[in-house]
Amino acid sequence: MDWILDFYNYRVVGQYLPEFARGLGSTAWISLLALGISLSVGTIGAIMRMSANPVLWRIAAGYVQAIRSTPLLIQIYLIYFTFPALPLLDRRLDELEGGIIALGLNAGAYMSEIIRAGIESISRGQVEGAQSVGMTYLQRMRHVVLPQAFARVAPPLLGQTAVLIKDSSLVSFIGVFELFGAGLVVLNERLMPNEGFLTVAVCYLVIYTVMLSVTKFAQRRLGGATG
Amino acid sequence: MTNETPIVVVKDICKTFNIPGRPPVHALRNVSNHVAKGEVLVVIGPSGSGKSTFLRALNGLETIDSGSIVIDGVELTAAKANLNLLRQGVGMVFQHFNLFQHKTALENLTMPQTVVLKRSQSEADEIGRRLLDRVGIGDKDDSYPSELSGGQQQRVAIARSLAMNPKVMLFDEATSALDPETVGGVLDLMKELATEGTTMVVVTHEMGFAREAADRVTFMDGGEIIEEGTPDTVFDDPRHERTRSFLSQII
Ligand SMILES: Nc1ncnc2c1ncn2[C@@H]1O[C@H](COP(=O)(O)OP(=O)(O)O)[C@@H](O)[C@H]1O
Ligand SMILES: [Mg+2]
Repeated sequence: MDWILDFYNYRVVGQYLPEFARGLGSTAWISLLALGISLSVGTIGAIMRMSANPVLWRIAAGYVQAIRSTPLLIQIYLIYFTFPALPLLDRRLDELEGGIIALGLNAGAYMSEIIRAGIESISRGQVEGAQSVGMTYLQRMRHVVLPQAFARVAPPLLGQTAVLIKDSSLVSFIGVFELFGAGLVVLNERLMPNEGFLTVAVCYLVIYTVMLSVTKFAQRRLGGATG
Repeated sequence: MTNETPIVVVKDICKTFNIPGRPPVHALRNVSNHVAKGEVLVVIGPSGSGKSTFLRALNGLETIDSGSIVIDGVELTAAKANLNLLRQGVGMVFQHFNLFQHKTALENLTMPQTVVLKRSQSEADEIGRRLLDRVGIGDKDDSYPSELSGGQQQRVAIARSLAMNPKVMLFDEATSALDPETVGGVLDLMKELATEGTTMVVVTHEMGFAREAADRVTFMDGGEIIEEGTPDTVFDDPRHERTRSFLSQII
């Protein structure tokens, strides 16, 4: 059984457990916060995109195009280095804030297209049912349209979330310590890429599995019997 | 039925649908009508005659081009009318129910109460359960619309409207999408509401219901009101040729 230790020395992995735990926690946190931003931005973006007001829908459409057509790594650099240079904030963003915002804004563009498809799939009758009992636009959105829309597009939203979680490794380029960074430590200190990156890959898989069950739960909560 | 000011007053309303590349459709041409408190007005007419457009105009689901609609003293067609507030007082029952698919039968009744009327959850629950009992499906409170038959869904939809304490209830072919064996039960429920003094405007092809429940029958064709009167006069002694030919086709 020596070949196993050669291929993947779990004792070494055991020594680096604190690093992996810290990396896993960091990646989970970054992803969770970026996911929150992306769902908010995505919902607002989707509603703006469907607005009859040309200013609103053009802003939303332009935003999606801009995000789609540029690399995420450039977006992260822009948010972290360039945006704070504008006289909007009275302080710099730290690397964690910059990374989370960039990831959230990036995923938000893709989420908004998915959420828009979800909203458009809700039948006119659902809206008219809500109108007929006197619900306002916001009440209809909040209680009738969005819950059903989210339940319906939960699978593609989960797929986009998986992309977001994997993409979060890119914030290591601006100096954020996360899972990928933990793998790098093992590579650099021990020259052991397998122990570093196989472990990292398994951690990503674990996060994804957790997300999968959270999604199924949310889908049932939002969609009732139809979800 | 009474001499008070009518709940619904419709004056000279017109509606034209313009679809680019097609001739305009005059769905309503100078339609006037009124519904008194406790009155049941049944609107009949061939398909495409403007019945749905008329009904939908009454709660602002369809905007009209000219004329005026006043519901319980409030002008729906005024520029600054609060449509959402107005719709609280105008219940609507649709051909395809339009129940909230992601809510159980009981939640379909309670959610609008808590969200729109700001009733407490417990009060809304109590009212909701009482009304589900009232429409004969008290045991289905936990079922989702997709788990109910058409007739049961329409009962939930009627109860959802009633929970808002509407001043007037609108029914747009409420039994047209139902299986034949469930039509009778829903019509009976509507008759009961009528006898209890609910103010109703009912679009239907069920002439038996019209004869029994209506205080007044309006016959529409081509976006116009052709003839109007008590069920007996309209059905047994129609003055207009178009009414006669419509009735001969349908009965
Ligand atoms: N949203 C719409 N767009 C275009 N035409 C419409 C629309 N709604 C109704 N119409 C037209 O208006 C006329 C009246 O329709 P409707 O009121 O639905 O008739 P009814 O309910 O009596 O069958 C019909 O010719 C119909 O095709
Ligand atoms: Mg119709």
